[in-house]
Amino acid sequence: MSTRHILLGLLASSPSHGYDLKRRHDERFPQARPLAYGQVYTTLQRLVRDGLAEVDGTASDGGPERTAYRVTDEGARELTRWAAEIAPPAPFVTNEIFAKLVVSILTGADADAYLLAQRAAHMRRMRELTAVKTAPGTDLTTVLSADYALTHLDADLRWMTTTAARLTTLTAEVCAT
Amino acid sequence: MTNGETRGPLLAATGLVKAHGRTQALRGADVELRAGEILAVTGPSGSGKSTLLHCLAGIVRPDAGSVTYDQQRLDRLPEKRRSELRRTDFGVVFQFGQLIPELTALDNVALPLMLSGADRAEARARAGEWLERFEASGQAERRPGEMSGGQAQRAALARALVTGPKVVFADEPTGALDSLASEQLMAALAQTARESGTAVLLVTHDAQVAAYADREVEVRDGAVAALEVTA
Amino acid sequence: MSAVGSPLFSEVRLARQLLRGSDRRERWRIALTGAGAALATGFALAAVTLASVEGVYTVSVLHGLLSDPGTRSGVIAGLLLLLVPVLAFLGQCTRIGAVHRDRRLAGLRLAGATPWQVRRVAALETGLACLAGSVVATTGSVVVLLRLWSGPNATTWAGIALVAVGVPVLGAAAGALALRRVVTSPLGRVRRVRPAAGRGPGLLFLAALTLLAGVAPFAVTGGHRFGNRPHWETPLTVFCLVLALGTGAVWLAGATSRGVGRLIAGRARSAAPLIAAERLRDDPWAPARTHAALLVVTVAATAFLCIRHTFLAELRSDEQTGADVAYYTTGLDLTGAALLVALAIALSGLAVGTAESLTTRRRTLAAQVAAGVPRTVLSRALLLETALPLAPALLLAGAGGMVVGAWYATLTGTAALPWTALLVAPAVYASCLLAAATALPLLGRSVSPGELRYA
Repeated sequence: MSTRHILLGLLASSPSHGYDLKRRHDERFPQARPLAYGQVYTTLQRLVRDGLAEVDGTASDGGPERTAYRVTDEGARELTRWAAEIAPPAPFVTNEIFAKLVVSILTGADADAYLLAQRAAHMRRMRELTAVKTAPGTDLTTVLSADYALTHLDADLRWMTTTAARLTTLTAEVCAT
Repeated sequence: MTNGETRGPLLAATGLVKAHGRTQALRGADVELRAGEILAVTGPSGSGKSTLLHCLAGIVRPDAGSVTYDQQRLDRLPEKRRSELRRTDFGVVFQFGQLIPELTALDNVALPLMLSGADRAEARARAGEWLERFEASGQAERRPGEMSGGQAQRAALARALVTGPKVVFADEPTGALDSLASEQLMAALAQTARESGTAVLLVTHDAQVAAYADREVEVRDGAVAALEVTA
Repeated sequence: MSAVGSPLFSEVRLARQLLRGSDRRERWRIALTGAGAALATGFALAAVTLASVEGVYTVSVLHGLLSDPGTRSGVIAGLLLLLVPVLAFLGQCTRIGAVHRDRRLAGLRLAGATPWQVRRVAALETGLACLAGSVVATTGSVVVLLRLWSGPNATTWAGIALVAVGVPVLGAAAGALALRRVVTSPLGRVRRVRPAAGRGPGLLFLAALTLLAGVAPFAVTGGHRFGNRPHWETPLTVFCLVLALGTGAVWLAGATSRGVGRLIAGRARSAAPLIAAERLRDDPWAPARTHAALLVVTVAATAFLCIRHTFLAELRSDEQTGADVAYYTTGLDLTGAALLVALAIALSGLAVGTAESLTTRRRTLAAQVAAGVPRTVLSRALLLETALPLAPALLLAGAGGMVVGAWYATLTGTAALPWTALLVAPAVYASCLLAAATALPLLGRSVSPGELRYA
């Protein structure tokens, strides 16, 4: 999740200062984790250091000094490159659930119960997301974010179902090695 | 939704047993459906989910056990009375096959009203309203074979809802649809059910479809296990 | 499909395997096709045998009707006319389970069978059933023949052989022809739920009519030398007129069905007529195909009653001896009996057609019942599907028959037509509704919820 490219993109649509940028980010990507101010400022500094952004001017309207930033030509080119780049599909198999499962088997805990509880938690989250999605007056951005999360949770669920069916074989294999 | 909890479940089944020939589809299944709630019934294929739905809707008589709807024994009623109940109080949406292929979408949706004695023009008018509500009014004069799967299923949903039923039984309604059409159908179903306080029994093996429900039960080897209870 | 040994044997093996795994409907198809083939063989054999008799030959049955070559040709013509409903019946039988068989053959094609292999399997499916019927009928007929006739000549045996072999071959050809679309484009069958509606009253029926129209003159004139028999033109003309008017009624009925459907659908107040009318509008030629034989029989029966009335009036006005009158009346009664047999066969064809259309729509009907449509509404719609297109068609057929009768009456100079002839069309209509109603118990079985389970 390249935060710096997202912020750079927001800057490209209209220059803003840090506080405004954080607000715009949280508005546009409501299902993502909200950014911390510190993270925003650090990222902006790094963008300026790399020549992708520059200071637009400072304004102080009675309050603390606010530095506005805007994107450079180099930054615009970098954005185009990044947006067109294909995200590599799952190069690493990092699966926290699988890890917990193997550990459960090794320590003799009830792997089946864990899978059931994890599945219930997934379904709960899916119901919440669906309720958000179908609430009247929801804009399309929210729907799309929710859909993304739902599809991935669904993928996890499918994997858990097939794994639950293969649990005995898995247990034998894990315990043998 | 609150009055349902004080009066007991709208539809309840206990100890359902049903065999199809030599295969035992249900072995002692219990399930409850409260007024206004959406219940998802999931489970692997062949586990008896559809048979459970058929028993609950009164389409089939169980070999043993009881089905109670609104304080009367559904499985004890004669077929004629059950058929009438299915026409007035229940609505059904299947995976396919429930629209008459020779009638237009409008006539299909108007059919339950006509069967209950409504005048044809009035039935067609109300059917038109429902089709418009589901954004299928452009298909009103087309036959099911000339529409896309999603449009046909939305028409089928309109037909199930046109009589204002208390319970809608949906058996894999999105099974033959692509993801966008599934979304549209489930959104239409969930929204209408919540607005009118209709209970929905939704049989599905798709988790994203089951996520539209308030509650989920799983059917495994002919018996029902509650997975989760949420308020 | 690499064949070990003769390529035909692998197809026969496949056909046998398909039969062993088949359901009740396939067995009904085979049984009915066999019965139809037996009937067709029987009538054709009788006609051929009679045609091969030369000159006067005293036969003790049927009041000496078969002795005289003139009346014999009338009997031959009658037998040939009887072939029309039988062939229509066979046409109905080949259509039993057609959708299912189409899909099966499409599956074979997609699995790698060549078009000719699939054609052979299709031919075998129908041909073997027809062969069974033909064998039974031929054996029976030969036994009866040898008891009645001491010296059948070479022509007779040749004719018998031709018919005995010809019927199964024709059946096989019809089977292969009916499934030709699957052979060329298997995907088309696999994807669509309903096969595309055919235009026109059915290839088999038209072929049968052309065959009869071509063969009839020879059969009718075959048993004698030229000039021996007075007015052979009349039976022939009657025969041709009946066929022509029957075909015309069928074609007109098909052409107007869509209009009738649209009219009723626009005005329908309740569910059953709406469903029946829309079905008619959707596929207007399907009832024409099923009712074709019935319409021809109605034309023939109405014409027969008129002709009989005129004939008897003419007989009574002439000075004839009592024996002669009995001779003619036996002939007339025989024709009447033949027409009743034809009607019975045509009605069976209708019953089979109705049952078949029911079973093809099983899943939709089961879903309707599950959704709360009362079974009575579905039964009424089923009956209306027969009743609606049949009413104008039978009216036309009855009128056509009256035209033939009137023409014959003008030939002989008598003006009166019997009022009983007007009753033929309504009587046939009533019996058709009864025949269609025999399929109603099947409706109860078709809409069992078990049908809902399969995709």
